[in-house]
Amino acid sequence: MKRYGMVVDLNRCVGCQTCTIACKHANDTPPGVQWRRVLDVEYGSFPNVERLFLVTGCQHCADPPCVPVCPTGATRQRADGLVTMNYDTCIGCASCAVACPYQARTIVHEMAGYYGEQTVQEQRIAHEERIGVANKCTFCIERIDDAEARGLTPGVDAEVTPACSVACIAKAIRFGDFADPSSEVSQLAKDHRSFQMHAELGTNPQIRYLYEVPGSTPGRRPEPADADDEALSDPANPLAGARQPFWDYRAAMNFIIGGMTSGLAVVAWLAYAAGAFDFQFLRSVHVAAAAIMAVGLFFVFLKLGRKLRFIRVLLRPQTSWMTRETWFVAAFYPAVAADFLWPHPALAFIAALAAAGFLLCQARMMYASKGIPAWRVPLVPWMFAATGVFEGIGLLAIALALAGGHQNAISALAPAGMILAVANAALWRRYRATARASGIGPLSRRDLAAISPLLHLLGHAVPLVLFALSLVIAPAASILGGMAGLAAIAGGSWWKFMLITRACHQQGFAMPMIPQRGSGTRASPERLAFG
Amino acid sequence: MSADTAAKQEGTKKVPIYCNQCVCGPDLFKVEVKDGVALRIEPNLDIGDAHPACGRVCVKAYGLIQKTYNPNRITRPMKRTNPKKGREHDPGFVPISWDEAFDIVGAKLNEIRAKGLIDEAGYPRLAASFGGGGTPTRYMGSFPAFLAAWGPMDLGYGRGQGAKCYHSEHLYGELWHRAFTVTVDTPNADYIINCGNNQEASSGVTGVWRQADARARGMKRVQVEPHLSVTGALSAEWVPIRPKTDAAFLYGVIHRIVLERDWRTLCDVRFIAEDTNSPYLVGPHGYFLRDAATGKPLIWDLAEGKARPYDEFRDRPGARAALEGVYAVAGFEEGPDGERWEHAAASARPAFELMREHLAQYTPEWAAKECDVPVEAIRRVADEFVAHAKVGATIEIEGVRLPHRPVGIMLGKGVNNGWGGYQTVWARTMLECLVGALEVPGGNIGTKVRLNRPADNRMKSVKPGPDGFMDYPFNATTKDAWQSKPHIRSAYRMLVPLSANSPWSAALGPAHLPWLFQKDPPKPWPRQTLPDMWICYRTNPAISSWNAPEVAKRIAEFPFTLAFAYTLDESNYMADVLLPDATDIESLQLSRIGTTGSGEQFWHHQGWAIRQPAVEPIGECMDMTDIATQLAVRAGLLRKYNEAINRGSAATRLKSDAYDYSLDPDVPHTGYEIWDAIAKAASHELSGGEEVHGIDWFKEHGFMLRPFSQLDWYLYPEIKKHGLRFEMPYQERIKRHGEQLARRLHEIGIEWWNHQLEEYEALPGYKAFPDIWTHYAAEVGRDPDEFPFWALTARSMQYAWGANVGLPLIHEVAANVAGHDGIIINRSAARKLGIADGDPVVLESASGVTRGRATLREGIRPDTVLLVGQFDHWATPYAKDLGLGSLNSVTPLALSLTDATGSGADLIRVSVRKDSARHVGKREAAR
Repeated sequence: MKRYGMVVDLNRCVGCQTCTIACKHANDTPPGVQWRRVLDVEYGSFPNVERLFLVTGCQHCADPPCVPVCPTGATRQRADGLVTMNYDTCIGCASCAVACPYQARTIVHEMAGYYGEQTVQEQRIAHEERIGVANKCTFCIERIDDAEARGLTPGVDAEVTPACSVACIAKAIRFGDFADPSSEVSQLAKDHRSFQMHAELGTNPQIRYLYEVPGSTPGRRPEPADADDEALSDPANPLAGARQPFWDYRAAMNFIIGGMTSGLAVVAWLAYAAGAFDFQFLRSVHVAAAAIMAVGLFFVFLKLGRKLRFIRVLLRPQTSWMTRETWFVAAFYPAVAADFLWPHPALAFIAALAAAGFLLCQARMMYASKGIPAWRVPLVPWMFAATGVFEGIGLLAIALALAGGHQNAISALAPAGMILAVANAALWRRYRATARASGIGPLSRRDLAAISPLLHLLGHAVPLVLFALSLVIAPAASILGGMAGLAAIAGGSWWKFMLITRACHQQGFAMPMIPQRGSGTRASPERLAFG
Repeated sequence: MSADTAAKQEGTKKVPIYCNQCVCGPDLFKVEVKDGVALRIEPNLDIGDAHPACGRVCVKAYGLIQKTYNPNRITRPMKRTNPKKGREHDPGFVPISWDEAFDIVGAKLNEIRAKGLIDEAGYPRLAASFGGGGTPTRYMGSFPAFLAAWGPMDLGYGRGQGAKCYHSEHLYGELWHRAFTVTVDTPNADYIINCGNNQEASSGVTGVWRQADARARGMKRVQVEPHLSVTGALSAEWVPIRPKTDAAFLYGVIHRIVLERDWRTLCDVRFIAEDTNSPYLVGPHGYFLRDAATGKPLIWDLAEGKARPYDEFRDRPGARAALEGVYAVAGFEEGPDGERWEHAAASARPAFELMREHLAQYTPEWAAKECDVPVEAIRRVADEFVAHAKVGATIEIEGVRLPHRPVGIMLGKGVNNGWGGYQTVWARTMLECLVGALEVPGGNIGTKVRLNRPADNRMKSVKPGPDGFMDYPFNATTKDAWQSKPHIRSAYRMLVPLSANSPWSAALGPAHLPWLFQKDPPKPWPRQTLPDMWICYRTNPAISSWNAPEVAKRIAEFPFTLAFAYTLDESNYMADVLLPDATDIESLQLSRIGTTGSGEQFWHHQGWAIRQPAVEPIGECMDMTDIATQLAVRAGLLRKYNEAINRGSAATRLKSDAYDYSLDPDVPHTGYEIWDAIAKAASHELSGGEEVHGIDWFKEHGFMLRPFSQLDWYLYPEIKKHGLRFEMPYQERIKRHGEQLARRLHEIGIEWWNHQLEEYEALPGYKAFPDIWTHYAAEVGRDPDEFPFWALTARSMQYAWGANVGLPLIHEVAANVAGHDGIIINRSAARKLGIADGDPVVLESASGVTRGRATLREGIRPDTVLLVGQFDHWATPYAKDLGLGSLNSVTPLALSLTDATGSGADLIRVSVRKDSARHVGKREAAR
């Protein structure tokens, strides 16, 4: 079996962008889209500086994080290692884009020409099928697929080798079959020390970077200061990731509204089961939860690049938490509707179970977004689940306050709310305290820090106090409980919104080893003999 | 074949074309065409086995499709309707027919011919400017034949090339080793000192390819420059030197080798003694001491204890030329204008000894202070250089054993043009001579590009001259032969003896002086008239010249300008007629490829390649060959034009002893007919008549080659064959020309060139070159302290020479390379000025202002700012909205900044500050 990949030599690449533009030609990519991009990187500070050029793009990972998150199966991995895109299947949900730790994916929503209106050539090379769906480097898959029929070998014969490699004017990008020990890429990888970018994420990327000149210059690790907070706080530093542009407020609305309503459906059932109110009330709450949840789902529908294909979201329950989420939606609504038409506690139980599943899926979707360091932390799903339940309590408290006359239920709910407030606060604090160790960069950490005061006050302290007061001041329990609920919802919405749209910096680029060159202390060593 | 590929390929053809957008070509690519529309570009790998970079082309070639379909193109001839010219006057261009355009231009040409080609002041009435490095000739079809048919023409109006080029290298390199362009034999080199040459951006795909291979092999390069360029990034070490002090750095290196260490054991003493003028005895007046009988320079023979003429040392076993000591010798010195000093027993010393004595003052400590680099760096580089030189080693090239000296030195543009250029180039050549690395494998070598004829054979340009050196066609400075009046407005034959008088020389004189003298002529100086007509092709002097805004004003003063126009730009904004020529992938031409060339083009092949219409020209754009023919017809020059084509002015001669494909001189020919005849002659010549192909064959196959020997990369064997020596280290001829030129100029009362005359030294001295630019402010009444920063420029591979600033595709990819979206400033220096990344900034010099956004980087000296490429456009569509500054907007045109060879340099002192909100607002509104 073949395993296609690349070897990029950092000592050869001159950053000329010929690969970038050759790729644009070969793959007809639109303005601003670069499947092959070369970064201009600086390390150090004057007078001890190193500059180098870093070839980036889809790494065709052996364990690609983009594939399992795809809800439609549009992104798959072939037996030869290529990670492929089916534009006709993709719905443009961008799950893959936020799952990629290499900033390799783009979504373009409108046809455009470089001068505004498309030129005749731009019209001829336009790809309507790529609008609104995820795009990325394909390793020039059609060339590779032609290889067998033509009896040619990718990486050896130019016609069947990716355009960037063929065009490279420094022989810096080599392509071939890592499974073939005699291939050039295998030989290079064998004879040189190399690294895989972000190997620690377990993606096993299939681009290997060479950094040494065998026999003379071994290469070295970057200095600690090269990737410290100051370096990675500079938005102009190409190694630092920018905020992800894929999931905006519309996605956030689904996480906010979906989280709280699914939490409500679950908490309400638990409260009903505990005898806090009657079945009729539970049914009303479930109907309300479903109605509000629909708003969030509508928002996420609006965000899809290809809305009319949304039903394909159901296609990948094996791996995709988004698919599973949708299946739980598909179970929740019929259950609520059936319970509404033919009241039965079992149906309410099914609805609650589906809502729980929904909440769990949301939490896992965030965690599966491996391209966003602030989202992929193991605590994040717990935070989403705990906040969902907390918000569910909050919403239920509001519902009880609005309905009136559920004094006992509020009294029963308040301690749970207090526990959840403390739990959420604890989770958040833990998340913040471990953020750096979890790999969250300084830019996202700065955003998280900015969220914290208001979150702790509004989202944790206020609900805690108000729930506590509701236990003490019985006549005002309803109103206090409702206000506590409002605060809990506000806090949860606040941090989720900010996490999705602000503290959402993409995984940056990093080189564990670099060529040994530059000025001052970084220069390669003195050499008084050669060869 | 996959469905996708099949869909792509059905009905498509791939058309082979050459790219010569930069001086380092041609390289070959293919255009994928379907239904008459050019879709994509790819490298032409058909030539992969023969091309030094395996058939690759650089990023610029991929811009050609967008260049073709750019909606901002001028696609019909236009004429100006607003008689007022200037940036502030809308030209009011209106479309006209080709007939009307030719009528207007033809009438003007005939008017000039009727008045006489030379005006009353002695200047040609017709002037023309073309873009840099000879690249336009690869696009102008048979237009050179029109120029040849015309007669005297002023080609000396600078436009960024020539005076701004690798100027001292061009002239001194040509003098010393027929190396108008100098490079390193990279495949055989192990160590390179690179003073500011941005090779990875400027040496084309072949340079990048060879350098990358050498790096992977372990070649070590030390980059000495004020900012960390792309090339510096790829070097083993970057030494951040103070601008314009490179000569001091190299002098320190030489000092280390010849004065601190034992040069007798380190250096190639045989080479020094036998292959240079090091042993020539120099008399008390600073001229070679000559044998009374033969007039030949003398050498002291240590074996016999007597002096003998230099040529008696050849094939004389046992003779030992003295490189040190003082000897009492009889003979004479020959000074300027035939002056003779006879000596019965002159106290004479070998040139090498004088060189060492001269260098004694330039210690590494002195150099470290001048260059603002650690002294250890200078000593280390010197020690590494000699350690890698492998003195005594040989290498076999195509069965011939040659010396192998794997050490080279590269010099950047700003380093070797303007003041200090002579010293830097001399120091480089001196270092190479010390270890015998000149024109041998691994060392510094030249290319086929030359002033000295014949054009097609570098080896044949080696002709014995006086005193055992190669002949060199200096412009005469003797009383009877000196040209005492300028024959064109740059006056190169009058002012610059070294610029020779080849077709290229007009561009190599002080080509910026016509712009300066048009407004401020020095006194005394013959009145400088305006040309009746100025032709502007594939160049934009109003952007690419020093003090570009001022040059735009001078262009506006021209009475009639004919511009070949791609889009509107800052120069053709002042034109009277715009003619839209078919561009790169729309027109037909054959060009030579292979042998050796600028950058690092070193081929094992030579031959011809085609540029052809992959698609029909857009709109009414016309092939330059057809335009040239029409102009010849209208100017009544058809016969002369056709004869010029037959002589080879367009590409190669159509008639020789072996073949005759010449055109009937009395009838106009189509572009196809002309290039078909040229194709047949070219292929006949290339194959010795065995394979004769018309243009249709080239259209299909793209190129034709025959082998070219690697032995022709190296001049040293040819020098030895003629028994010649390299004219190093002692510059007797330069000294004599300088003294003669001084007399000539003073005789007619010219004193304003005196500073330049000081440069004619037999052993060039260092002069604190940075101060020249610092003091410029005082010259124009400003305080030098107002301008605390050096402003420099750097080559952009993505843009240089490409005429592609109007292409957003190029900007998109170029923006990935730092400096293409702003002005590079050292982060700490910017912080002190309160400037953050992306802030609008204004740079001001004593002569101009430019604006841009700050790009903060660490790889630049805190006293230096960098403006990549040449921008600041105000008329070119798209480019004018980029908001990019340009060094050319702040560099002055000034005599004081012009060196003896007639060049200045791309640097100036500036102030840097955050731009005011008012200006930013105005600019944003303009965007």
